[in-house]
Amino acid sequence: METLLIRSDFLTKTLKDPVNLLLIALLTVLSYLILWPFFELILQTITWGDGDRRLSRAAIPGEHTWFHWLQVTASPLSSKILYEPLINTLKTGLISTVLALLAGGMLAWCVVRSDIPGKNWLQPILTLPYIVPSFAIALAWESLFRSPKVGGQPGLYQALFDLSPPEWLSYGTFPISVTLAIHYFPFAYLLVCGALATIDSQMEESALISGASRMMILRRVTFPVVAPAFAAAFILTFGKTIGQFALPFLLGAPTQFHTVATMVYATLALGLDSMAYVLAIVLIVMSLMAIWLSNRYVGKKSGRFETISGKGFRNRQVSLGSWRWPIFLGVALFAFVVGILPLLLLGYQSLMLFDGFFDLSNFTLHFWIGESDPEIAMGEPGVLHNHNIVGAVWNTLELAFLSAVIASLIGLLIAYIVVRKPNNHLAKLLDQVSFIPFLFPSIAFGAMYLTMFAEPNGPIPALYGTFTLLVLISVVNRLPYSVKTGVTAITQIGKELEEAAEVAGASWRHRFQKIVIPLASSGALTGMMVSFVGVMRELSLIILLITPSTRVLMSVGFNYAEEGLTQLSHALVLIVAVLTIIGELILWWAGKSKFVRLREKET
Amino acid sequence: MSNIKIQKLTKRYGDMLALNDVSLTIESGEFLILLGPSGCGKTTLLRCIAGLETPDEGQIIIGDKVVFCSEKNIFISPGERNLGMVFQSYALWPHMTVRENMKFGLDVMKMPVQQADKRLAKVLTDLGMSELQDRYPSELSGGQQQRVALGRLLAAEPAVFLMDEPLSNLDARLRMDMRVELKKFQASTGSTTVYVTHDQTEAMTMATRVVVMKNGNIQQVSPPTQLYKNPQNTFVADFIGMPRINLLSAKRPKGAGSVFTNGDIELDIGWCPDQNEIIIGARPEDLAICKATKHKSSNFAVSSVLPNGPEVIVQLIGGSTSLLARVNHDVNLQQGELMEISFDKKALNIYDAETGQLINRPEG
Repeated sequence: METLLIRSDFLTKTLKDPVNLLLIALLTVLSYLILWPFFELILQTITWGDGDRRLSRAAIPGEHTWFHWLQVTASPLSSKILYEPLINTLKTGLISTVLALLAGGMLAWCVVRSDIPGKNWLQPILTLPYIVPSFAIALAWESLFRSPKVGGQPGLYQALFDLSPPEWLSYGTFPISVTLAIHYFPFAYLLVCGALATIDSQMEESALISGASRMMILRRVTFPVVAPAFAAAFILTFGKTIGQFALPFLLGAPTQFHTVATMVYATLALGLDSMAYVLAIVLIVMSLMAIWLSNRYVGKKSGRFETISGKGFRNRQVSLGSWRWPIFLGVALFAFVVGILPLLLLGYQSLMLFDGFFDLSNFTLHFWIGESDPEIAMGEPGVLHNHNIVGAVWNTLELAFLSAVIASLIGLLIAYIVVRKPNNHLAKLLDQVSFIPFLFPSIAFGAMYLTMFAEPNGPIPALYGTFTLLVLISVVNRLPYSVKTGVTAITQIGKELEEAAEVAGASWRHRFQKIVIPLASSGALTGMMVSFVGVMRELSLIILLITPSTRVLMSVGFNYAEEGLTQLSHALVLIVAVLTIIGELILWWAGKSKFVRLREKET
Repeated sequence: MSNIKIQKLTKRYGDMLALNDVSLTIESGEFLILLGPSGCGKTTLLRCIAGLETPDEGQIIIGDKVVFCSEKNIFISPGERNLGMVFQSYALWPHMTVRENMKFGLDVMKMPVQQADKRLAKVLTDLGMSELQDRYPSELSGGQQQRVALGRLLAAEPAVFLMDEPLSNLDARLRMDMRVELKKFQASTGSTTVYVTHDQTEAMTMATRVVVMKNGNIQQVSPPTQLYKNPQNTFVADFIGMPRINLLSAKRPKGAGSVFTNGDIELDIGWCPDQNEIIIGARPEDLAICKATKHKSSNFAVSSVLPNGPEVIVQLIGGSTSLLARVNHDVNLQQGELMEISFDKKALNIYDAETGQLINRPEG
């Protein structure tokens, strides 16, 4: 009886605290939006669906079956559906990761540790390929190496050399690996830069004093210290490449070259929904394994090698000597080729009246400002007059804006709960649940929402085809990042700042509005901008959920590319690329002029 | 003005007992200082009074209002306890100006604008901060930030002031000045003040009464002078005073009434406690030393001499016993010199060797 009494006291007290109420509410909603779709996805793969009657006579909708799993893993179809794509995924993933890491690592060393000139402007150009949609790089590649043998108009390569490029150069493993590497090397570059910047050159100097040669220092001191960061970069980059959809689709599908991600799309297009879901699960498992590996082996190691920064920390620059200018030229050329050339190519392509004829007389602004002309591009008007595109612009901005704002606010609330209730198990759970979307390759996540919201679900109507669903998935997909930025922002706000307001009699809501939000705002705004740009260039996540009425720039660009309306798709992707670059520029500018007084530490 | 009654307060963090059945009455208008080493529970006690921590058991009454009672399940939130607090880090809101920082509490109270302006003007003038009122905290020096924290507390005119090591972030010289100023403000407002510190000089100079705590227990509650002269147990004796008190474990040789020895030194304490094993507490200034003469030999030699302005601290070692003495600065001592030691019997405190508690000297 007594324990019961205490329990009910505890309960009323817990429920009186608005933060606890919020915690429970958020946990419920997030479980529904993150965990439940995953179970639903698994459930779909082991249940007969309505459409399965045309696949098998034994199908009884609603009954349990292993049919889909067997079809995918052990049937005459499996090599086409699963094993070939799986090998392709691993192949392109590994090659591109190795290339990205090599390029990223070398460039990081040049920029952080050497006296190479022009660092200030090399760095932003080197990150450009990661800022623009991966799709843009794929389109640029295609415009160079397109081959009429496969179909369509010739690319620049053929126009210049008057011979068609070999197929391996146009489609398949090679172009996919290279373009993936171009898109992801800045990611590896940033990770390695971070690791290199933490090396105290006194470590190297003390090796120098003990008589070690430069090579020996690099081999025995520098490399072992950055090795964990390298390994982490490797696994994270690999994990990212396998979820890529648009890029391998563009450079693979014309020759029936599929990765698991593109196969999800292709099987869905064929109406083999449950098999697509099996493939989605395969993707998720691969991604989980990569993250698990990175945590298990790298997480521990990097903790052991954590360099202590503080007093006497110095980062000495290595003099390149007479190699300074040649290396600079090489890096600058590389930066131009991967950062600027693809955008120039896109722009160039969007100005050609007839695709593939590289002649001055062929230039036109039709695809930008022209009215509808039945002679050109099936009558599609130019970008500025095209309702399809103008509508997509608004949808894109609206989607990016809403998702960024909502994700940041929810991220801030979750971060607040996680930071302020460090010993609460439910708060820890909330933290973990909000991180889960990071583990889902985006096309697999899209597949989950497709299964979940295709039909009415309890009190929630069928959201498929609505704009709300796009916002929902974008918000949930951004949560791991927005919680992370939120935690950084909240941790900087001392608990005492809030306690001082509590002593003054301010309620929790009052405190959150007047103290927490203003102080976290600069960090949260940055996070919001990052999300805005991220949602804008996203395609893999929402491609399965988009309908004509909810089209966004990326999806329209993808559709035009599928239909072979090259100029329009190039123009659209160029618009997205420019928008994201503007977004990044704003971020960069905001990062420089952040309120100094908010960041200054107390004495 | 309110008094504060703390009754049988217990607070646990997991297995750690932060407050163990603490009872304490703080008189109205008193400047009470909670003193102790880190982890002794002093800050926890302060935060329990503030309502920032919820105790597990016990009762807290401020004035005539029960603000916490575990039995009746009462918990009044911090804002309704009519108290103000100065935090160790000051906890100034960095996005508000000096004036906005001080006005926050008044806004929460929904005080009419005119009245609030008047009160802020007075506080700002009193603190000499009028010209800095539109600055942001990061544009102020440490001492000025400290004043803003104090001003934030004064503006709300609470009945109880709570201060959590408010001077620990200031440099030594500024700390001296602020001690004087704080004491002045406390006296002029007459508010009941509870102040936490680990700095005994701060406690000794400012408090009307000092509470010494250790491991969640109150060791002694006394005015500063008494705390220094008559520490209630060996912990307090050892904790209070710089340089440290000399604590000698000594036994009574058979038959000798008031004479005790530790093997290296023999000492007549002047009265006869019941216990045969005691600890003798002698402050360094209660020792007198002079150079040993031929007919009165000593086995205590000077091992180090530490001049400290007007006084000199001398360490003497004899056998396995080490003693500290505080002597006038004009004595000229050499290392290794043998010294004769005598004690001021009246100033000695005698503790039970088993319990460590003070053995009361019979009256007269």
